[in-house]
Amino acid sequence: MSFLEKHLEDPVRLGRIKRVLYVALGLVVAAEIGLPLLFGAGHPHFAFERFPAWGSLYGLLSCVAIILVSKLIGKVFLMRGEDYFGDKEHRYPEDGDGH
Amino acid sequence: MGIEWVHPGLLLIVGAWIVPLLKGHAKRAAMIAVPAAALIDCLAMTPGSYGTASFLGQEVVFGVVDRLSLVFATVFSIMALLGMIYALHVDDDAQHVSALTYAGGALGVTFAGDLLSLYLFWELMAVSSVLLVWLRRDARATRAGFRYLLAHVFGGLLLLAGILIHWSNTGSFAFGDLGAHSGGLAWGLILAAFLLNAAVPPLGAWLPDAYPEATVTGAVFMTAFTTKSAVYVLIRGFAQTELLVWLGAAMAIYGVVYAVLENDARRLLAYHIISQVGYMVCAVGIGTELALNGAAAHAFAHILYKALLFMGAGAVLQMTGLRKLSEMGGLYKTMPITLGLYMIGAFAISAVPLFSGFVSKSMIVSAAGESHRAAVFLMLTLASAGTFLHTGLKLPYSMFFGERRDAPTAEEGAAPGAEPPRNMLVAMSLAALLCVAIGIFPGLLYARLPHAVEYVPYTLQHVTSTLGMLAFTALGFFLLLGHLHPTRTISLDTDWFYRRGAFGLMKLVSGPLVGLQRRVGEAHEIVIRRPILGLAHVVRKFDSGVVDFALVGVGRSTRALSRLLKKVEDGHTQHYGLLMAGGLATLLALVVLAL
Repeated sequence: MSFLEKHLEDPVRLGRIKRVLYVALGLVVAAEIGLPLLFGAGHPHFAFERFPAWGSLYGLLSCVAIILVSKLIGKVFLMRGEDYFGDKEHRYPEDGDGH
Repeated sequence: MGIEWVHPGLLLIVGAWIVPLLKGHAKRAAMIAVPAAALIDCLAMTPGSYGTASFLGQEVVFGVVDRLSLVFATVFSIMALLGMIYALHVDDDAQHVSALTYAGGALGVTFAGDLLSLYLFWELMAVSSVLLVWLRRDARATRAGFRYLLAHVFGGLLLLAGILIHWSNTGSFAFGDLGAHSGGLAWGLILAAFLLNAAVPPLGAWLPDAYPEATVTGAVFMTAFTTKSAVYVLIRGFAQTELLVWLGAAMAIYGVVYAVLENDARRLLAYHIISQVGYMVCAVGIGTELALNGAAAHAFAHILYKALLFMGAGAVLQMTGLRKLSEMGGLYKTMPITLGLYMIGAFAISAVPLFSGFVSKSMIVSAAGESHRAAVFLMLTLASAGTFLHTGLKLPYSMFFGERRDAPTAEEGAAPGAEPPRNMLVAMSLAALLCVAIGIFPGLLYARLPHAVEYVPYTLQHVTSTLGMLAFTALGFFLLLGHLHPTRTISLDTDWFYRRGAFGLMKLVSGPLVGLQRRVGEAHEIVIRRPILGLAHVVRKFDSGVVDFALVGVGRSTRALSRLLKKVEDGHTQHYGLLMAGGLATLLALVVLAL
């Protein structure tokens, strides 16, 4: 699939793809706000779903919250070196007990 | 068991043994024919109750066929077929037999109408699936397999205890809705056993511990059967159990949090099994018709897309030898078809419109909405964003794009990657086809669900808000990409308690317990052994001094007497005659003198 390679490895083309994606984001928000105004809002289960661009907003908040909170929990409580349970494959002899 | 009904699980369990008897093309034909026969069997089945037998004076029913058991049996059979196609190139009969037996066990659980046959197949699944871990044949897999087996033996014992208590309370082994016994000991034990197999935290750490260690093809089977058969029995026995609503919603987020931290590709996907099964467990708890339909539909869709995702990660593992995201990257150049098929699975699990997850997951989220559970609704939607974040963005980005940051060099055994064998691509393509077909034609799936479906997934509001959520999750991902690079770490889960707990136990054993044992030994020496030895000494002295002396004395006297007699009895007849004559003379003399 040289098509993908051609587009991803060329900074000019990659930049163009990024711009297209940002425009797509804008369209998605516009659709979420605009289409219910045109065709009626349907019957959401909760009042908060009527907030303009609710899906986009909650998606962004969820994503950021998941990453930050998980990393925090991980760093404080959960993450350990790979050899914590003593069964690391010893493929990297140079960092034998570096954890 | 009558001619009119053949148990599809039996077809798999017995048919499995045909595979090792054959060679070459015939073997590969059997590997496809056996699960295909089970699938046709399921599709041709009509509802009813079959396979009744009597055991220990109790009626056992091997074939309860209704809409609920049929939808699960159908997807289990499809999965067995896809899994065998994926494994066609593997030259290891033990794996094929284990995998087919395992799938047969899942079908056995699905059609079980009583707790005894349920238990039988439940244990068969545990034993056959652990072989798929062990058959990887390395030290890590062996250890992980033992932990997996111990967890499931524990769950099996909970189930057995629950069944026996239930039987002694009610006198029946029939398996149906257990809501009437809610809160009882038997109810709790059976529920705990089911939750363990559904990988509900804190009983679920066995899943991300064992699945990444299984063989490439074995792991694909494992993703399907254990957790989804547990969802099935939960639907049968524990619908509308409020506890499950909250356990399920928490579980959906729990899997997502761990997935952020995870570096092992298949372990990340394993945490997303937990997250997705969380939706189903939550739906069982909500228990409305829409929710139970959603649980069954989501199980169906989930088995297919999760198998596809594990097939993709397995293909990368097989072709490059890499399992950690921090070592991968740039594989889109050498494995573009794998990437494309993986992404179909990723879009399906992320509930992108036109893919299967969109029409199944949304039933559960809507059921939470219809029962006015705002918190559950928000939790499940949040977990949806997390699913797309990891399975749809982080994993493919690290695996196929991104840079290899601490990749092993070619001398260390890393391969640049290439497309996997054709049969693996065929299996992935079929799974991908089903994911898309269900997404575009949800009626295909909805027609098979246990209750009549009025739900319409493609509404304007649902499509636009889902697209918005997905698009902005992607934005968040690229904005925070710097925080998301996989690190070479592992994360603690509740298996800590038995993995580190075992070290603690060993310390307890080697320290205090050994000391205690020594003290008990010393006490035993002083209180019991020494008095007994002393008493024995006295008895021995008596024995040698008195008893032996007496015996020796008797012996000596007898010998002396014998010597004396020997002098008399010297064998000369004339001496005896003389003695007799002397005696007679003496007698005569006595008689004469006395008279």
